[in-house]
Amino acid sequence: MNWHDIWILYRHELRSAFRDRIIVVNSILMPLFLYPVMLWVIFTGFTFVAGLADRSDSRLVVLDEPAAHAALMDTLRGRDNIEIQSSVIGADSAVALIRAGELDALVQFLPAQDDARGLDDNFQVMIRYDRAVERSRRSRDRVEGVLSGYRDRWMTREATALGIPATERAQFRVVQDNVSSGRQMGALLMGTMIPTFLVLMVALGCLIPAIDSTAGERERSTWETLMTVSASRLSVVTAKYLYVATLGIMAGILNVTAMFVSLGAIIGPLLADASTRADAFQFSVPFLALPVMIVASIALALFFAAAMMVLAAFARSFKDGQAMVTPVVWLALLPMVLGQQTDRTLTPTIAAIPVANAAMMIRDAINGVFLWHLMAETLAVLLAMVAVCLIAARAVLGFEDLLLGSFDGSFWRFAKEQVFRKKAGQGSNGAGSGSD
Amino acid sequence: MGPDREATDMDETPTTRHPGEEQVMDNSRVRVQSLQKSFWDESRGEVRAVDGIDFDCRPGEIFGLLGANGAGKTTTLRMLSTILKPTGGQAWLNGHSVLDEPEAVRRSLGFFSASTALYPRLTGRETLDFFARINRYPAERVAERVEDLIERFGIKEYAGARVEKLSSGMKQKISIARTIVHDPPVLIFDEPTVGLDIMAALEMQRVIRELREEGKAIIFSTHIMSEAEKLCDRIAIIHQGRILALGTLEEHRQATGQHYLEDIFVHEVMAAERGEDATAGAGASSESDTSP
Repeated sequence: MNWHDIWILYRHELRSAFRDRIIVVNSILMPLFLYPVMLWVIFTGFTFVAGLADRSDSRLVVLDEPAAHAALMDTLRGRDNIEIQSSVIGADSAVALIRAGELDALVQFLPAQDDARGLDDNFQVMIRYDRAVERSRRSRDRVEGVLSGYRDRWMTREATALGIPATERAQFRVVQDNVSSGRQMGALLMGTMIPTFLVLMVALGCLIPAIDSTAGERERSTWETLMTVSASRLSVVTAKYLYVATLGIMAGILNVTAMFVSLGAIIGPLLADASTRADAFQFSVPFLALPVMIVASIALALFFAAAMMVLAAFARSFKDGQAMVTPVVWLALLPMVLGQQTDRTLTPTIAAIPVANAAMMIRDAINGVFLWHLMAETLAVLLAMVAVCLIAARAVLGFEDLLLGSFDGSFWRFAKEQVFRKKAGQGSNGAGSGSD
Repeated sequence: MGPDREATDMDETPTTRHPGEEQVMDNSRVRVQSLQKSFWDESRGEVRAVDGIDFDCRPGEIFGLLGANGAGKTTTLRMLSTILKPTGGQAWLNGHSVLDEPEAVRRSLGFFSASTALYPRLTGRETLDFFARINRYPAERVAERVEDLIERFGIKEYAGARVEKLSSGMKQKISIARTIVHDPPVLIFDEPTVGLDIMAALEMQRVIRELREEGKAIIFSTHIMSEAEKLCDRIAIIHQGRILALGTLEEHRQATGQHYLEDIFVHEVMAAERGEDATAGAGASSESDTSP
């Protein structure tokens, strides 16, 4: 291996890559612009849809109105966003209309049950709605809100009539208070989104370069040209590997930067509006989280680059390469599964799961949790996987039919053939025959 | 048996010699000895693509490998360029063993074939610069060398344009310049005129002749008889991985009694398939005694 040759080859790969529209879009523009824009579109979309739902009227049918509670009915009728329909007679017809989407909820007054019957004019209310429909759920909430307010007022009035002082009828109350600071709320959101996007971006950043530098070279017939230069095979492969990893790292870091900017400038204000708390979300991370994220991006890029290049080495065309490398991209979705449980931190078990460990390490760092020994385990696991992939890559390049792109099959077929050939004691086409 | 190593400014790696190898004191730039390549095929079992061939090539000589498709020409040339590793025999380029010094071999070699394309996203000038540097042409002379070649091949006007934008004729010129940019003493042209129009093919032949005049040892493979007839100083007829006959065109004529290379080729192949020795005069698997 000659580092001077590697440097020349590496520069050559980068120069070619930066002139390729697909690579520039996938590894630079998408991480930098597309995902922040997509996030903004999604949040704006959610806000828009929520706004539409807020403005929609609730179409109700009320059955068996209690005569003693005309005030309740007046309150319901008095709400601007509640429309009571009187044409429906019977619970079954109303339920059928709810299922058909022509009605949002049925409010049916029923006689009080058990001890509740002791109170004059008491009743119970059944609200029937369609939980699968947002508008129907919202109607249920509105009715519940009106009923809850009316119940409090009615109970107070009845208790006063019976001479029960307020001190004796007082019940305990449940009061909620979110003690999270705006910074912690921001960290929660960042901890959920950034690791997932970062892992995905690093993987996508490596994807096209990995295919382009292996299968793409074959498809363009430049592979054989490269095989005749005086640099060793090892130097050629090392340069390509470093180039693919570089673009992965670049994609990851650009994406993190863009995410920070967009969370603070776009998503933060949107969420603050939604919660009507100006300080609801603050997007800042501990200083130590930045080097942790960079180290994790590098480790991830080294891993994705190695894994993707091993698989892409079997492809004879760009299309083949995409099909073969796609399973590695699925690995990038692993953090999404763990991301659902936001209170989980890195554990020895998670640290042993490639990709998920790096994502968890990043999330911990964003939340200000630095479990150094588990971070070390995470990096060790990822680097061990890189070593395995590189050993596999070196072994794979020892086979001439793969080197020349004449092998017609996948990694799995190749592995199977090699195992069976070894068992049968047969030589392979150029087995172990890399010329240097 | 290996040829003497010829020192050039490209040589850096010491030549490996094996015990018992006799040093040949000729000036062959390429020496091929009992070269073999077998591979295993699921349906056919062991296939001998190249079956023990011998030849040599000297400075200022165009050595032709003439054979039908699948005869073993490309496999032979790929072994000489160290893309493939021989399963038997040995070969030396500029004194370097293809088995033991592949990098030194490739430094001494310019390889051109239909499957050695250019990088589409680089300009012609960048392409030449890259191949000069990666093949260890002295760094301080790269720029001058690149400009010389741009001038020589008349590609100045489009040297700054990306290769993907160029016509096939322009690409061909850059491709030849790429092959010789590091000034290698040995050149291999594997069916270089395949797919070219007549004018481009003639231009290619003219360049190859020029390179011979410069003292390059050139191995030229083709299945086009007229091309071999016009260009090659010596011709080896290769069939099913074996050299059936090797010599100058005149020697082939004398050995077979045929005048045209096409007839000579058919005569040799038919004789080989009948199991006859039709090579008496032209010396199959020749050593340097068959040289002109």
